[in-house]
Amino acid sequence: MPMKGRFPIRRTLEYLQKGEIVFKKSVKIMTVNYNTHGDLSEGARKFVFFNIPQIQYKNPWVQIMMFKNMTPSPFVRFYLDDGEQVLVDVEGKHHKEITHHVKKILGKTDQVLEAEALAKMELSNPANFGHKKYFLRECMSEVEGQVPHPGLVPLPKEMTGKYRAKMAATSDE
Amino acid sequence: MLRALSRCHDPVVRLLAPRNTVLIETVRGRKSRTDPKAKSKLDRIKTPPPVDPVEMVVLKERFTEYNLILRALRLEFKEQVLRKKYEDEVGSAAEERTKKEAEEHRSLMAWNDAENLRLRQIREQRVQKETEAAELKRREAILLRQQELEDYIKEKERQILQLQEEAKDFITMDNLDERIEEALDNPKNYNFAIDKEGRVVKRTAIQ
Repeated sequence: MPMKGRFPIRRTLEYLQKGEIVFKKSVKIMTVNYNTHGDLSEGARKFVFFNIPQIQYKNPWVQIMMFKNMTPSPFVRFYLDDGEQVLVDVEGKHHKEITHHVKKILGKTDQVLEAEALAKMELSNPANFGHKKYFLRECMSEVEGQVPHPGLVPLPKEMTGKYRAKMAATSDE
Repeated sequence: MLRALSRCHDPVVRLLAPRNTVLIETVRGRKSRTDPKAKSKLDRIKTPPPVDPVEMVVLKERFTEYNLILRALRLEFKEQVLRKKYEDEVGSAAEERTKKEAEEHRSLMAWNDAENLRLRQIREQRVQKETEAAELKRREAILLRQQELEDYIKEKERQILQLQEEAKDFITMDNLDERIEEALDNPKNYNFAIDKEGRVVKRTAIQ
Protein backbone atom coordinates (compact mmCIF):
# COMPACT_ATOMS: atom_id res chain seq x y z
CA MET A 1 0.00 0.00 0.00
CA PRO A 2 1.61 3.32 -1.05
CA MET A 3 -0.44 5.63 1.21
CA LYS A 4 0.34 5.55 4.93
CA GLY A 5 -1.18 7.70 7.66
CA ARG A 6 -3.94 10.24 7.83
CA PHE A 7 -2.57 12.88 5.45
CA PRO A 8 -0.09 11.00 3.27
CA ILE A 9 0.51 14.16 1.25
CA ARG A 10 2.85 15.20 4.05
CA ARG A 11 5.21 12.47 2.91
CA THR A 12 5.47 13.60 -0.72
CA LEU A 13 8.62 15.30 -1.94
CA GLU A 14 6.63 18.05 -3.62
CA TYR A 15 4.96 19.02 -0.34
CA LEU A 16 8.23 18.93 1.56
CA GLN A 17 10.09 21.02 -0.96
CA LYS A 18 7.39 23.69 -0.72
CA GLY A 19 8.46 24.43 2.84
CA GLU A 20 9.14 28.13 3.33
CA ILE A 21 11.26 28.22 6.46
CA VAL A 22 15.02 27.88 6.05
CA PHE A 23 16.66 28.77 9.36
CA LYS A 24 19.69 31.00 9.77
CA LYS A 25 22.99 29.32 10.48
CA SER A 26 22.86 30.22 14.17
CA VAL A 27 19.71 28.19 14.96
CA LYS A 28 20.64 24.78 16.30
CA ILE A 29 17.71 23.39 18.28
CA MET A 30 13.97 23.91 18.04
CA THR A 31 11.55 22.80 20.76
CA VAL A 32 7.76 22.79 20.57
CA ASN A 33 5.65 22.46 23.72
CA TYR A 34 1.97 21.88 23.08
CA ASN A 35 -1.12 20.12 24.47
CA THR A 36 -3.09 17.33 22.90
CA HIS A 37 -6.47 18.76 23.99
CA GLY A 38 -7.86 22.24 24.19
CA ASP A 39 -8.82 24.98 21.76
CA LEU A 40 -5.82 27.19 22.44
CA SER A 41 -3.34 24.51 21.37
CA GLU A 42 -5.18 23.81 18.11
CA GLY A 43 -2.91 26.02 16.03
CA ALA A 44 0.19 24.52 17.60
CA ARG A 45 -1.05 21.01 16.96
CA LYS A 46 -1.70 21.78 13.30
CA PHE A 47 1.72 23.41 13.07
CA VAL A 48 3.37 20.27 14.41
CA PHE A 49 1.30 18.04 12.16
CA PHE A 50 1.68 19.92 8.88
CA ASN A 51 4.64 22.25 9.02
CA ILE A 52 7.29 20.49 11.09
CA PRO A 53 8.05 17.90 8.35
CA GLN A 54 8.64 20.74 5.90
CA ILE A 55 10.93 22.52 8.32
CA GLN A 56 12.96 19.42 9.09
CA TYR A 57 13.32 18.64 5.39
CA LYS A 58 14.68 22.09 4.67
CA ASN A 59 16.90 22.14 7.79
CA PRO A 60 18.27 18.63 8.22
CA TRP A 61 20.91 19.77 10.74
CA VAL A 62 18.49 21.42 13.19
CA GLN A 63 17.34 19.22 16.06
CA ILE A 64 13.58 19.47 16.56
CA MET A 65 11.89 18.11 19.68
CA MET A 66 8.23 17.93 20.62
CA PHE A 67 6.87 17.91 24.18
CA LYS A 68 3.24 17.12 24.92
CA ASN A 69 1.10 18.18 27.89
CA MET A 70 3.87 19.65 29.96
CA THR A 71 2.67 23.24 30.28
CA PRO A 72 -0.80 24.82 30.27
CA SER A 73 -0.06 27.03 27.26
CA PRO A 74 1.80 26.16 24.05
CA PHE A 75 5.06 27.76 22.95
CA VAL A 76 8.03 27.29 20.66
CA ARG A 77 11.61 27.76 21.84
CA PHE A 78 14.75 28.14 19.74
CA TYR A 79 18.29 27.62 21.02
CA LEU A 80 20.92 29.54 19.06
CA ASP A 81 24.59 28.70 18.94
CA ASP A 82 25.67 31.67 21.10
CA GLY A 83 23.49 30.37 23.94
CA GLU A 84 20.59 32.73 23.28
CA GLN A 85 17.10 31.28 23.71
CA VAL A 86 14.22 32.70 21.71
CA LEU A 87 10.73 32.10 23.10
CA VAL A 88 7.69 32.37 20.84
CA ASP A 89 4.21 32.24 22.39
CA VAL A 90 1.75 30.48 20.07
CA GLU A 91 -1.36 30.33 22.24
CA GLY A 92 -4.51 30.70 20.20
CA LYS A 93 -2.67 31.38 16.92
CA HIS A 94 -3.45 29.79 13.58
CA HIS A 95 -0.73 27.49 12.24
CA LYS A 96 -0.14 29.72 9.23
CA GLU A 97 0.39 32.70 11.52
CA ILE A 98 2.90 30.70 13.50
CA THR A 99 4.81 29.83 10.31
CA HIS A 100 4.94 33.45 9.20
CA HIS A 101 6.04 34.60 12.62
CA VAL A 102 8.84 32.05 12.85
CA LYS A 103 9.97 32.77 9.31
CA LYS A 104 10.11 36.47 10.06
CA ILE A 105 12.24 36.24 13.17
CA LEU A 106 14.60 33.37 12.44
CA GLY A 107 14.25 32.37 8.81
CA LYS A 108 16.43 33.38 5.89
CA THR A 109 14.74 36.03 3.80
CA ASP A 110 13.71 35.33 0.21
CA GLN A 111 16.45 37.64 -1.00
CA VAL A 112 19.14 35.70 0.80
CA LEU A 113 17.76 32.40 -0.44
CA GLU A 114 17.80 33.62 -4.02
CA ALA A 115 21.35 34.87 -3.70
CA GLU A 116 22.42 31.49 -2.31
CA ALA A 117 20.69 29.62 -5.12
CA LEU A 118 22.43 31.87 -7.64
CA ALA A 119 25.83 31.28 -6.06
CA LYS A 120 25.23 27.54 -6.11
CA MET A 121 24.33 27.68 -9.78
CA GLU A 122 27.56 29.51 -10.56
CA LEU A 123 29.62 26.62 -9.25
CA SER A 124 28.38 24.21 -11.92
CA ASN A 125 28.51 25.74 -15.38
CA PRO A 126 26.43 23.62 -17.80
CA ALA A 127 28.74 24.63 -20.66
CA ASN A 128 31.65 22.68 -19.19
CA PHE A 129 32.68 19.27 -20.47
CA GLY A 130 34.01 16.50 -18.24
CA HIS A 131 33.26 13.31 -16.32
CA LYS A 132 29.65 12.20 -16.40
CA LYS A 133 29.42 12.46 -12.63
CA TYR A 134 29.99 16.21 -12.53
CA PHE A 135 29.16 17.57 -15.98
CA LEU A 136 26.48 17.09 -18.57
CA ARG A 137 28.67 15.98 -21.48
CA GLU A 138 32.07 14.46 -21.94
CA CYS A 139 32.63 15.02 -25.63
CA MET A 140 31.18 17.24 -28.33
CA SER A 141 30.06 14.13 -30.19
CA GLU A 142 27.41 13.62 -27.50
CA VAL A 143 25.61 16.85 -28.48
CA GLU A 144 22.71 16.56 -30.90
CA GLY A 145 23.48 17.94 -34.33
CA GLN A 146 27.23 17.44 -34.04
CA VAL A 147 29.36 14.84 -35.76
CA PRO A 148 28.78 11.55 -33.90
CA HIS A 149 31.58 9.47 -32.42
CA PRO A 150 33.22 7.40 -35.20
CA GLY A 151 33.27 4.41 -32.82
CA LEU A 152 29.46 4.30 -32.90
CA VAL A 153 28.69 5.62 -36.39
CA PRO A 154 31.37 5.37 -39.17
CA LEU A 155 32.39 8.72 -40.59
CA PRO A 156 31.54 9.51 -44.20
CA LYS A 157 34.48 8.77 -46.48
CA GLU A 158 35.24 12.39 -47.22
CA MET A 159 35.98 13.15 -43.55
CA THR A 160 38.44 10.30 -42.90
CA GLY A 161 42.10 11.15 -42.71
CA LYS A 162 43.30 8.42 -45.03
CA TYR A 163 40.90 9.38 -47.82
CA ARG A 164 41.95 13.01 -47.63
CA ALA A 165 45.60 12.00 -47.63
CA LYS A 166 44.98 9.86 -50.70
CA MET A 167 43.15 12.71 -52.44
CA ALA A 168 45.94 15.10 -51.59
CA ALA A 169 48.53 12.64 -52.90
CA THR A 170 46.63 12.01 -56.19
CA SER A 171 45.95 15.75 -56.72
CA ASP A 172 49.64 16.52 -56.18
CA GLU A 173 50.63 14.06 -58.85
CA MET B 1 55.25 -23.05 -14.50
CA LEU B 2 53.79 -19.64 -14.71
CA ARG B 3 52.44 -18.86 -11.33
CA ALA B 4 49.39 -16.80 -10.68
CA LEU B 5 49.68 -13.11 -10.88
CA SER B 6 50.79 -11.47 -7.71
CA ARG B 7 50.23 -7.85 -8.27
CA CYS B 8 51.27 -5.73 -5.40
CA HIS B 9 50.81 -2.10 -6.09
CA ASP B 10 53.21 -0.70 -3.55
CA PRO B 11 54.15 2.86 -4.40
CA VAL B 12 57.76 2.95 -5.45
CA VAL B 13 59.84 5.60 -3.74
CA ARG B 14 63.00 6.44 -5.61
CA LEU B 15 65.11 8.32 -3.15
CA LEU B 16 67.76 9.36 -5.64
CA ALA B 17 65.44 10.47 -8.41
CA PRO B 18 64.60 14.17 -8.75
CA ARG B 19 61.19 15.29 -7.49
CA ASN B 20 59.61 16.10 -10.83
CA THR B 21 60.00 12.70 -12.52
CA VAL B 22 57.14 10.30 -12.90
CA LEU B 23 57.18 7.27 -10.60
CA ILE B 24 56.63 4.05 -12.49
CA GLU B 25 55.15 1.19 -10.56
CA THR B 26 56.89 -2.18 -11.00
CA VAL B 27 54.21 -4.64 -11.94
CA ARG B 28 55.18 -8.19 -12.82
CA GLY B 29 52.62 -8.80 -15.54
CA ARG B 30 51.84 -12.39 -16.58
CA LYS B 31 55.04 -14.13 -15.46
CA SER B 32 56.28 -14.54 -11.87
CA ARG B 33 59.87 -14.10 -10.58
CA THR B 34 61.05 -17.63 -11.23
CA ASP B 35 59.80 -17.95 -14.82
CA PRO B 36 62.65 -18.07 -17.38
CA LYS B 37 63.12 -15.61 -20.23
CA ALA B 38 61.30 -16.45 -23.48
CA LYS B 39 63.41 -18.35 -26.07
CA SER B 40 62.79 -15.74 -28.75
CA LYS B 41 64.00 -13.02 -26.43
CA LEU B 42 67.18 -14.66 -25.11
CA ASP B 43 69.51 -12.72 -27.46
CA ARG B 44 67.63 -9.48 -27.25
CA ILE B 45 69.58 -6.50 -26.00
CA LYS B 46 67.23 -3.77 -24.90
CA THR B 47 68.56 -0.36 -25.83
CA PRO B 48 66.83 2.87 -24.89
CA PRO B 49 65.73 5.11 -27.75
CA PRO B 50 68.53 7.36 -29.06
CA VAL B 51 68.54 10.91 -27.77
CA ASP B 52 69.60 13.89 -29.82
CA PRO B 53 71.49 16.16 -27.40
CA VAL B 54 70.65 19.39 -29.22
CA GLU B 55 66.99 18.49 -29.36
CA MET B 56 67.22 17.42 -25.72
CA VAL B 57 68.58 20.77 -24.62
CA VAL B 58 65.97 22.70 -26.57
CA LEU B 59 63.15 20.53 -25.27
CA LYS B 60 64.38 20.78 -21.70
CA GLU B 61 64.43 24.56 -21.90
CA ARG B 62 60.96 24.69 -23.40
CA PHE B 63 59.59 22.29 -20.83
CA THR B 64 61.05 24.17 -17.90
CA GLU B 65 59.57 27.39 -19.22
CA TYR B 66 56.20 25.75 -19.83
CA ASN B 67 56.10 24.18 -16.40
CA LEU B 68 57.10 27.43 -14.81
CA ILE B 69 54.28 29.29 -16.47
CA LEU B 70 51.68 26.65 -15.69
CA ARG B 71 52.73 26.34 -12.09
CA ALA B 72 52.63 30.12 -11.70
CA LEU B 73 49.13 30.24 -13.15
CA ARG B 74 47.92 27.46 -10.90
CA LEU B 75 49.29 29.10 -7.79
CA GLU B 76 47.85 32.42 -8.91
CA PHE B 77 44.38 30.97 -9.20
CA LYS B 78 44.68 29.17 -5.88
CA GLU B 79 45.70 32.39 -4.23
CA GLN B 80 42.74 34.18 -5.79
CA VAL B 81 40.31 31.65 -4.42
CA LEU B 82 41.83 31.78 -0.95
CA ARG B 83 41.83 35.54 -0.96
CA LYS B 84 38.18 35.62 -1.94
CA LYS B 85 37.34 33.20 0.85
CA TYR B 86 39.32 35.27 3.34
CA GLU B 87 37.60 38.46 2.19
CA ASP B 88 34.22 36.87 2.63
CA GLU B 89 34.94 35.81 6.18
CA VAL B 90 37.33 38.44 7.55
CA GLY B 91 37.01 41.46 5.31
CA SER B 92 35.87 45.05 5.68
CA ALA B 93 32.53 44.24 4.06
CA ALA B 94 32.12 41.14 6.22
CA GLU B 95 32.32 43.10 9.47
CA GLU B 96 29.66 45.53 8.32
CA ARG B 97 27.55 42.64 7.22
CA THR B 98 27.82 40.93 10.59
CA LYS B 99 27.00 44.20 12.36
CA LYS B 100 23.96 44.72 10.16
CA GLU B 101 22.82 41.15 10.76
CA ALA B 102 23.21 41.57 14.51
CA GLU B 103 21.15 44.78 14.31
CA GLU B 104 18.42 43.06 12.37
CA HIS B 105 18.45 40.17 14.78
CA ARG B 106 18.04 42.49 17.73
CA SER B 107 15.14 44.33 16.12
CA LEU B 108 13.43 41.04 15.24
CA MET B 109 13.89 39.81 18.81
CA ALA B 110 12.37 43.07 20.08
CA TRP B 111 9.40 42.59 17.79
CA ASN B 112 9.04 39.02 19.02
CA ASP B 113 9.12 40.21 22.63
CA ALA B 114 6.40 42.75 21.87
CA GLU B 115 4.26 39.97 20.39
CA ASN B 116 4.82 37.81 23.43
CA LEU B 117 3.85 40.68 25.70
CA ARG B 118 0.66 41.27 23.77
CA LEU B 119 -0.29 37.60 23.97
CA ARG B 120 0.61 37.53 27.64
CA GLN B 121 -1.77 40.38 28.40
CA ILE B 122 -4.57 38.69 26.49
CA ARG B 123 -3.87 35.48 28.37
CA GLU B 124 -3.83 37.21 31.74
CA GLN B 125 -7.19 38.83 31.05
CA ARG B 126 -8.62 35.51 30.00
CA VAL B 127 -7.28 33.76 33.07
CA GLN B 128 -8.65 36.53 35.27
CA LYS B 129 -12.10 36.18 33.72
CA GLU B 130 -11.99 32.44 34.18
CA THR B 131 -11.06 32.70 37.86
CA GLU B 132 -13.83 35.23 38.45
CA ALA B 133 -16.37 32.99 36.75
CA ALA B 134 -15.18 30.02 38.80
CA GLU B 135 -15.41 32.06 42.02
CA LEU B 136 -18.95 33.13 41.16
CA LYS B 137 -19.99 29.60 40.45
CA ARG B 138 -18.48 28.40 43.70
CA ARG B 139 -20.35 31.01 45.72
CA GLU B 140 -23.60 30.18 43.98
CA ALA B 141 -23.10 26.52 44.66
CA ILE B 142 -22.55 27.23 48.34
CA LEU B 143 -25.69 29.35 48.49
CA LEU B 144 -27.70 26.67 46.76
CA ARG B 145 -26.51 24.02 49.15
CA GLN B 146 -27.33 26.20 52.11
CA GLN B 147 -30.77 26.85 50.71
CA GLU B 148 -31.37 23.15 50.19
CA LEU B 149 -30.29 22.41 53.74
CA GLU B 150 -32.72 24.97 55.14
CA ASP B 151 -35.55 23.65 53.01
CA TYR B 152 -34.84 20.15 54.19
CA ILE B 153 -34.86 21.21 57.83
CA LYS B 154 -38.12 23.11 57.35
CA GLU B 155 -39.73 20.13 55.69
CA LYS B 156 -38.69 17.85 58.52
CA GLU B 157 -40.02 20.28 61.13
CA ARG B 158 -43.32 20.45 59.31
CA GLN B 159 -43.57 16.69 59.27
CA ILE B 160 -42.80 16.53 62.98
CA LEU B 161 -45.50 19.06 63.81
CA GLN B 162 -48.00 17.19 61.68
CA LEU B 163 -47.13 13.97 63.48
CA GLN B 164 -47.58 15.68 66.81
CA GLU B 165 -51.00 16.82 65.71
CA GLU B 166 -51.95 13.31 64.65
CA ALA B 167 -50.55 11.87 67.87
CA LYS B 168 -53.43 13.48 69.76
CA ASP B 169 -55.89 11.17 67.96
CA PHE B 170 -53.87 7.97 68.44
CA ILE B 171 -55.44 4.97 70.04
CA THR B 172 -53.46 4.12 73.21
CA MET B 173 -54.03 1.58 75.95
CA ASP B 174 -55.87 4.20 78.02
CA ASN B 175 -58.62 5.10 75.59
CA LEU B 176 -58.81 1.71 73.92
CA ASP B 177 -62.16 0.75 75.42
CA GLU B 178 -63.76 4.11 74.71
CA ARG B 179 -62.60 4.02 71.12
CA ILE B 180 -63.92 0.50 70.62
CA GLU B 181 -67.28 1.58 71.98
CA GLU B 182 -67.23 4.59 69.76
CA ALA B 183 -66.40 2.55 66.68
CA LEU B 184 -69.13 0.02 67.36
CA ASP B 185 -71.64 2.79 67.89
CA ASN B 186 -70.92 4.57 64.59
CA PRO B 187 -70.72 2.09 61.79
CA LYS B 188 -69.02 3.67 58.77
CA ASN B 189 -70.26 2.87 55.30
CA TYR B 190 -67.45 2.85 52.73
CA ASN B 191 -69.67 1.87 49.77
CA PHE B 192 -70.41 4.26 46.96
CA ALA B 193 -72.00 4.17 43.54
CA ILE B 194 -70.74 5.69 40.30
CA ASP B 195 -72.38 5.97 36.91
CA LYS B 196 -70.94 6.37 33.46
CA GLU B 197 -70.93 10.15 33.62
CA GLY B 198 -68.68 10.01 36.65
CA ARG B 199 -71.22 11.12 39.23
CA VAL B 200 -70.34 9.68 42.61
CA VAL B 201 -73.03 8.77 45.11
CA LYS B 202 -71.77 8.28 48.67
CA ARG B 203 -75.03 7.71 50.44
CA THR B 204 -76.10 4.16 49.72
CA ALA B 205 -78.13 1.52 51.50
CA ILE B 206 -76.43 0.08 54.56
CA GLN B 207 -75.76 -3.64 54.35
